[in-house]
Amino acid sequence: MLLLLPQAIVDGFLIGGIYVTIAIGFSLAYGVMHIIDFAVGEWIMLGAFLGFYLNIWTQWDPFFLLPFVFIVFAVIGFVFQPVIHRVLSGKKGNPLLMGLVFTFGLGLMFRGLGLTVFGFYSHSIPSALSANSFFLESGNFFVTIPVIRFAGLVYALSITIMLHYLLKKSDFGLAVRALSQNRDAAGLMGVNAKRTSSYVYGIYVGISAMSGVLIGCIFSISAQMGGDYTVFSFFVVVLAGMGYLSGVPWAAFLLGFVQSFFLIYFNPSYTLLAVFAILYVVLLVSPKGMFAKGV
Amino acid sequence: MRHRNILWFASVLSILLILPLITDDAFFLRIITEAFMWIGLAMAWDVLAGYTGYLNFGHGVFFGIGAYTTAILMMRSEWSFPFALPAAGVVAGIVALFAGLPTLRLKGAYFAIATWALSRAVQQVALVLEITGGPDGMRLPPFLNPKFFYMLMLGIVTATFLLFWFLMERASFGLKVRAIREDESGAMALGLNPTKIKIQAFILSAVPTGILGGMYAYWITFIDPASVLGDLVTDQAVVMAVFGGLGTLFGPIIGAILIFLFKTYFWAYLADYQVLYLIILGLLIALSVVFMPNGLWGTLTGYIGARQALRKGLAVNPQAENETEKGDKTHE
Repeated sequence: MLLLLPQAIVDGFLIGGIYVTIAIGFSLAYGVMHIIDFAVGEWIMLGAFLGFYLNIWTQWDPFFLLPFVFIVFAVIGFVFQPVIHRVLSGKKGNPLLMGLVFTFGLGLMFRGLGLTVFGFYSHSIPSALSANSFFLESGNFFVTIPVIRFAGLVYALSITIMLHYLLKKSDFGLAVRALSQNRDAAGLMGVNAKRTSSYVYGIYVGISAMSGVLIGCIFSISAQMGGDYTVFSFFVVVLAGMGYLSGVPWAAFLLGFVQSFFLIYFNPSYTLLAVFAILYVVLLVSPKGMFAKGV
Repeated sequence: MRHRNILWFASVLSILLILPLITDDAFFLRIITEAFMWIGLAMAWDVLAGYTGYLNFGHGVFFGIGAYTTAILMMRSEWSFPFALPAAGVVAGIVALFAGLPTLRLKGAYFAIATWALSRAVQQVALVLEITGGPDGMRLPPFLNPKFFYMLMLGIVTATFLLFWFLMERASFGLKVRAIREDESGAMALGLNPTKIKIQAFILSAVPTGILGGMYAYWITFIDPASVLGDLVTDQAVVMAVFGGLGTLFGPIIGAILIFLFKTYFWAYLADYQVLYLIILGLLIALSVVFMPNGLWGTLTGYIGARQALRKGLAVNPQAENETEKGDKTHE
């Protein structure tokens, strides 16, 4: 049993990387638009299927398709955002509540769309990188690192660094941070709230879709996968503290560890129960996330 | 209730009571029995979502827990149905109490997420446990008496309706939950304990749902994780309540009847395109939120109220204080 421990830790670390990217996009959208997007898992699913079909059609490696998937879904998100904005700024009813209901309906629609168009079967996206793996050995312990998972981690790190640069060094990032602090004041300083929110939502949808392609290379994709990834995204964001970006990697890696430990040591069917149990305990003990810095 | 409303209520109820006496059409009775069930589920969802302002995206979990409780007690412990049915409500209530304890102290989004995660977790667990029969589900002894189930379902749903009507429209509890929905800190400043009241509302919503689940198990005689714990139960309850009108008693009823009729026709004629149904449900939620935030019932009563006000020459709409109107408060 102990022999597999390093493998479990490494696997968790490698899987966690992808959750970081999803959760950062999600936190970004939450920070700017104050929207909890229940359709996040469905964006991942749709992105994964776009990657799958593009891969069949062009025969390119999925890693080369990532920018294309990003652009397609960023445009979709950009075009879509005004509808969500309209719901959130509605005068009737409780806008936040309505926003939640709206994205829930959206997610339902996408899932139905996915099941109609893509069917019920599971697929996986073949990549040239899937074939190889690094093998490390030291005494009794050994670790296998599939190249594809390592590439996923590299992808996650580069996206995170790019986003960090975008947020902290560019004018656009300044506008985004201003918006998430105080919407009205940012508007007075000349930030175009609507346009910036649309960009942010586009980036978030694009990143989610791109991560979907990677998930398709590493695990498998099916039209029903969305719900689980919605739960995972929430788990990471809630654990990190809603809107607290620096906590995201820790929560994401914790999720990766939980997943790989349950896969190796217990029954993977209990993963979601463990996820709920951790969520439950964290909310009970420290409602603002593990670092008590959320909102 | 004003006299006219009592008259309406009594006449509808008596028609529904007479119905099984004049018809023996089992199919017809079955459709109406299921419609009652959905009315109950949509009403129960609305108590928490519409009145209290907390969205439960895992409502189906209580339905499933109720169904499995009844099934397990009847099949594994040999309880009789009259005892196993209330037990379903009790277990659902206990689960709601514990699930709500940490999550209801927080803002609505946390609760929506936690209930959603809970429902997915329970789905997965029911698939692997021995006692639930795993993916094969459970079979209950058939009790083939459509009229019995019709009457029992009607009784449960009517009792639920009257309970909700009393608590939400007559008792102070309804005012308390509305105060929490409108402004939680304000409610706290008035001396209310929001967490306690929210948990009460959550249990109030979970118990009838659990009982309906138990009914369903004995009525259909076969349950499996996909049918009673699947997302479709929650999805449909949400659509019915949102389409009908959140925060009203009649909205979910009307929504449930319309959506259920649509579903029955849809599945009868377009059985090959069942997944299309999900798209339509999702589209309906999204469109209702964008174009009809008060739902069918809210929009209708608002329209009628405005017409009456115009006729009386009043400048102010007397229905403006309707519970579906919440002013232009923004929660930032």
